[in-house]
Amino acid sequence: MTDPVLTVEGLTVNYSVGAGTFHALQDVSLEIRPGEVVGIVGETGCGKSTLGHAIPRLLPEPPARIESGRIVFRGTDLVTVPRWKLPMVRGTGIAMIFQEPLNSLNPAFRVYDQLAEAVRIRRLRESGRLPMFRPDRDDPFDYSRPPPPPKGGTLANAIVPGGVTAEAVQGRRLGSYRDDVLEYLRLVRINDPETVLGLYPHELSGGMRQRVMIAMALSEKPSLLIADEPTSALDVTIQAQVLTLLKELIDEIHTAVLFISHDLGVIAETVDLLGVMYAGRLVEIGPAAEVFESPRHPYTKALLRATPNRSKAEGALDTIPGAVPNLSRLRPGCRFQPRCVLARPVCANDPHPPLVPIGFGPAPAVHRTACLFPEEVAQLP
Amino acid sequence: MGVRDTLRLFWAVLRANPLTLAGFLMVAVLCGLAGIMAIDPWLLVRYGPIQTSSASYAPPSWAHPLGTDNIGLDIYSEVMRALPLDLGIALAIVGASVLIGGLLGLVAGYWDRPGTAGGASSIVILRTTDVFLAFPSLLLALAITISLGRGPWQAVLALMLTWWPYYVRLVRGEVLAVKHLPYIQAARAAGVSEGRIVLRHVVRNILEPIVVYLTMDIGTVLVVFSTIAFVADAIPYPSATPEWGSMLSYYQQILPIASYPWLVFGPGAAIFLTVLAFSLLGDGLRDVLDPRTRRALVRSRSRPLPEVPAEASPARPDDPEAKLSGEVPQPA
Repeated sequence: MTDPVLTVEGLTVNYSVGAGTFHALQDVSLEIRPGEVVGIVGETGCGKSTLGHAIPRLLPEPPARIESGRIVFRGTDLVTVPRWKLPMVRGTGIAMIFQEPLNSLNPAFRVYDQLAEAVRIRRLRESGRLPMFRPDRDDPFDYSRPPPPPKGGTLANAIVPGGVTAEAVQGRRLGSYRDDVLEYLRLVRINDPETVLGLYPHELSGGMRQRVMIAMALSEKPSLLIADEPTSALDVTIQAQVLTLLKELIDEIHTAVLFISHDLGVIAETVDLLGVMYAGRLVEIGPAAEVFESPRHPYTKALLRATPNRSKAEGALDTIPGAVPNLSRLRPGCRFQPRCVLARPVCANDPHPPLVPIGFGPAPAVHRTACLFPEEVAQLP
Repeated sequence: MGVRDTLRLFWAVLRANPLTLAGFLMVAVLCGLAGIMAIDPWLLVRYGPIQTSSASYAPPSWAHPLGTDNIGLDIYSEVMRALPLDLGIALAIVGASVLIGGLLGLVAGYWDRPGTAGGASSIVILRTTDVFLAFPSLLLALAITISLGRGPWQAVLALMLTWWPYYVRLVRGEVLAVKHLPYIQAARAAGVSEGRIVLRHVVRNILEPIVVYLTMDIGTVLVVFSTIAFVADAIPYPSATPEWGSMLSYYQQILPIASYPWLVFGPGAAIFLTVLAFSLLGDGLRDVLDPRTRRALVRSRSRPLPEVPAEASPARPDDPEAKLSGEVPQPA
């Protein structure tokens, strides 16, 4: 069995906001192997995005704080990596697609500029002109050569406004990244990439912007792609298109993907392994089909019943009574216990039930649940 | 992006907006005149800075386009001789302020997380700024000018010392607004280093308000400098180095001013036109810097973008590949 690209072990993240401390993530463990697509679902505020941002250390620290746990990416614990080395990991190691395609592209730069920056970073790192993340050494960072002076002067590039005509875009002035940029625009199935190169984000539709974002993330050839609700901000038809594209690309490129979504329908057909989060904890994880067909945590069961089309053909949709607990005032024991139909006094005892495997199977892919009574969950309607 | 493209863009914007064109032409003319005056003033004027003519209180005429004053100084010559000094002083003060204040503002705005080294430096910068802002800048500049010993360069230095805090505040505010936007986070996620994010992504997106403020500020500096020149008596008039502000304050004491309006008209109009020119230019620059308005300006007035080549055009509806990504760029 191949080594995992990413191993998250016992990750606990707190936010210190005002007087209180929000326990955003508690004891989350996860493994992603090369080429594997792992999905994370859960309600708003359950810690999905915190997890996605914590892995490449993109959380603002403070207020966020990684209290404990390890994030081992290709053999290096990212929690211990000093902040100034993190750009070496991001991009070429871990790339990310964000939720808001509207604001995730710099409004002042053309599509070409956005993508060229990503390609440039990859080229510089590959050619050794910028220090690169190297997992196969004792010290994973290579400082052998100092970074080169930026070509043409960074400040000059920053101040001179971008081009305006298509001729300008197609001219040789675009520099040597044009072919790479075009290749990735074609990869994300953008029609007429030559014209799109010279457009600004405000001239693109939401779906196009998200495609450009995906192209940006992929053009750095990351070993792990984190997709943080990549389709939530799009309307339904575009959502389907982008999802189809993502699925095809995942097959084509064979990169490991952490796919975060609150939409079970989106995630159902995309992922190999499905994790369900509730109130900052991973409550169930297993092969996607198994989790969908026979959920072993009452929250997963309830979540599936609350999905349109799945519970019943007519009548009111099933809901989960109660609300997600306040993450700054947690009660002892299982976090789902106050809303759970199976709850018993033992559920309110600390510690929180651990993830235990159900049945037998190869360790990482086995179906695991954090419920004390998985058999009874199976009996629920 | 080549020089030709830049010029073409520039021309398109100028053509689309007549006021910007006017502002640009005025600034160009002012700078050209200032250049000529600095190299060889005798090409444009017939009198030296303290050279009197035979006529005093002469109204505007061909010999004296802006008239003469009580001792027979040709006001046109005086105004023109003051041009390079005034323009240079205004640009130098604003330039130094935007460099110092802008850099400090960037640092204070971008690295402001409490409990880190950046947060500490941010506090130091902002509190220092507050100390300067606590004094009225005009009084502070006056005090510095006088304590340094009265003179034009003392006044310039004093204004530079008092002018930068406004830019710290302005730049910091803009940086705070921009730095939490998702595209900054996206750049960080793409592995862009912090320095490059600041210089490339942040600076480019805060340029518009700063350029507008800066060009308007040139006029303010001109007026304030003239005030200091007058109150601190930093640049006596009449002297070998005439200056618009000191000219104005000198002539407004000559009574009755209603009988000789041309005395104050010359330097007043010079200040007015300079301030106006930079304000109009600043307005136009904002349009150039914002890709949205720039594209709209260029599209509406110049020829449209070339048609999409036939083989790459939005495909037939039965093309499965096209259905997959059926979106086409939105028309502007």
